[in-house]
Amino acid sequence: MTMGDRGASVRREKNVLQTLLGKEGRKRHNHPSKNGNSIMRTDTMVPSASEPAANEVCDCTERSAHISADGFSVFYGDHEAVRSVTLSIPPGKVTAIIGPSGCGKSTLLRAMNRMNDLIPRTRVTGKLFYCDQNIYGPACDPVELRRRVGMVFQKPNPFPKSIYRNIAWAPKINGYRGDLDELVERSLRQAALWDEVKDKLDKSAFALSGGQQQRLCIARAVALQPDVLLMDEPCSALDPVATARIEELIHELKTQYTVVIVTHNMQQAGRVSDLTAFMYLGELVEVNETRTIFTKPGDKRTQDYITGRFG
Amino acid sequence: MTAHFVELLDGIRRRSLRMAALVEDIVDEACSAVMRRSESLAARVCTRDHEVDREEVEVETEVIRLMALYQPVGSDLRLLCTVLKVNNDLERVADCAVNIAERACHLDITKLDAQRVEIRRMDPLVRSVLHQAVRAYNSQDATDARKVFQQEEAVDALYGQIVRGIVREASESPEDMAAFLDVLSVAKNLERIADHATNIAEDVVFLCTGEIVRHQDKDGEP
Repeated sequence: MTMGDRGASVRREKNVLQTLLGKEGRKRHNHPSKNGNSIMRTDTMVPSASEPAANEVCDCTERSAHISADGFSVFYGDHEAVRSVTLSIPPGKVTAIIGPSGCGKSTLLRAMNRMNDLIPRTRVTGKLFYCDQNIYGPACDPVELRRRVGMVFQKPNPFPKSIYRNIAWAPKINGYRGDLDELVERSLRQAALWDEVKDKLDKSAFALSGGQQQRLCIARAVALQPDVLLMDEPCSALDPVATARIEELIHELKTQYTVVIVTHNMQQAGRVSDLTAFMYLGELVEVNETRTIFTKPGDKRTQDYITGRFG
Repeated sequence: MTAHFVELLDGIRRRSLRMAALVEDIVDEACSAVMRRSESLAARVCTRDHEVDREEVEVETEVIRLMALYQPVGSDLRLLCTVLKVNNDLERVADCAVNIAERACHLDITKLDAQRVEIRRMDPLVRSVLHQAVRAYNSQDATDARKVFQQEEAVDALYGQIVRGIVREASESPEDMAAFLDVLSVAKNLERIADHATNIAEDVVFLCTGEIVRHQDKDGEP
């Protein structure tokens, strides 16, 4: 492969990644430091009077990184899927969002790293903050936001590449200048997968089991050193053994990341989360410590839902 | 699953209440056995206690089965925890009743006038405490349950009086020592029944409010 071919190949990979992560082109080429949590655009956007200035570095430390919603609503066309939600996701904790199908929990989760931008006729009102910076403000760079706020989906979706490249790919094209081998090993260790794959890093990710693939996706997410991990029903496609591994992993991840998990499995929410938020018909009905929600919920709708009386 | 589970929960609750009614009956009979010195009643108490023992094991087995299969939460979890704890207290109450009934075989309480009067006061009070606790359990009424706490204090005071009376009189009539010890045993078991009734009332408060009120004084302070 010539240098020109390699350059074209990297550009193609970058385009694919941007398509997967979001359509906005990335302007920053250095791997962003975790010293600042700014998700602001570094180029053309002009901040409004109410927005922090572009390039302003949030004074939150890594440990205080969190997401909060203030009267936040999401509309799909005329349908208000999330209704004026006010919620604070504390740092270093696992927050579970539960509720019946169609209650808006995944929509809210996806809004936290602007995944809903890809859905036509979607609009939002109110504010959603990451480290005091409005995620939907004009100065927010969605690509940078998605690096800070990683996501793991319902079905494992490894890239059609080797295990190694699944992890190394995004940091590499983001201009990561450290030791890639070390980063891959660290990420796989964080995802409790290293011991199982260390001797077959060049094998296709598709050769892994479903549970291993999901942990690979988690490793891929943590390789970008995010502050927050969003998990949209990460175990729903896994068997009980793989589910237990992921749940154990979530316990370990919360020492380094803020985790928000959407789950239909209430026992899982009870097991892995510190806080639980219950949503119903787009509204946030109740949020409290998980042990309180599952022993003496304050709202009858929560009580009825967790005890299976409806939903 | 929901309707079925609700039915199962209701079934186990009703079964626990039936057991409570049976235990109340046994306590009544045990007290009557002592006061009337009736060996046949005492024997009946022992027989019915075996029934309570069997029922305790079956209720516990069913609660564990429901917990394992349905992983209840919220009020369902509180109900099953309460049934499990009340189940244990009811069985202990029946054991106390047996202890009381056993005294009927050799205690001639008519010999001890003062103690007979005291026991006659304590016996209905304890039965009333137990009944109040079971009624609160049946109606799932925390306010009713809290009333038990005050009644239990009256039982404790009465028990203290009986003990002091026995200490005083036993030295004057050492020939009645065996009878005094029997009366002391009856009083102690009645007092224990009131304690178990209080436990049941505390469990009812937990069932209704999710609040654990054990080991707190009347003001709710630990």
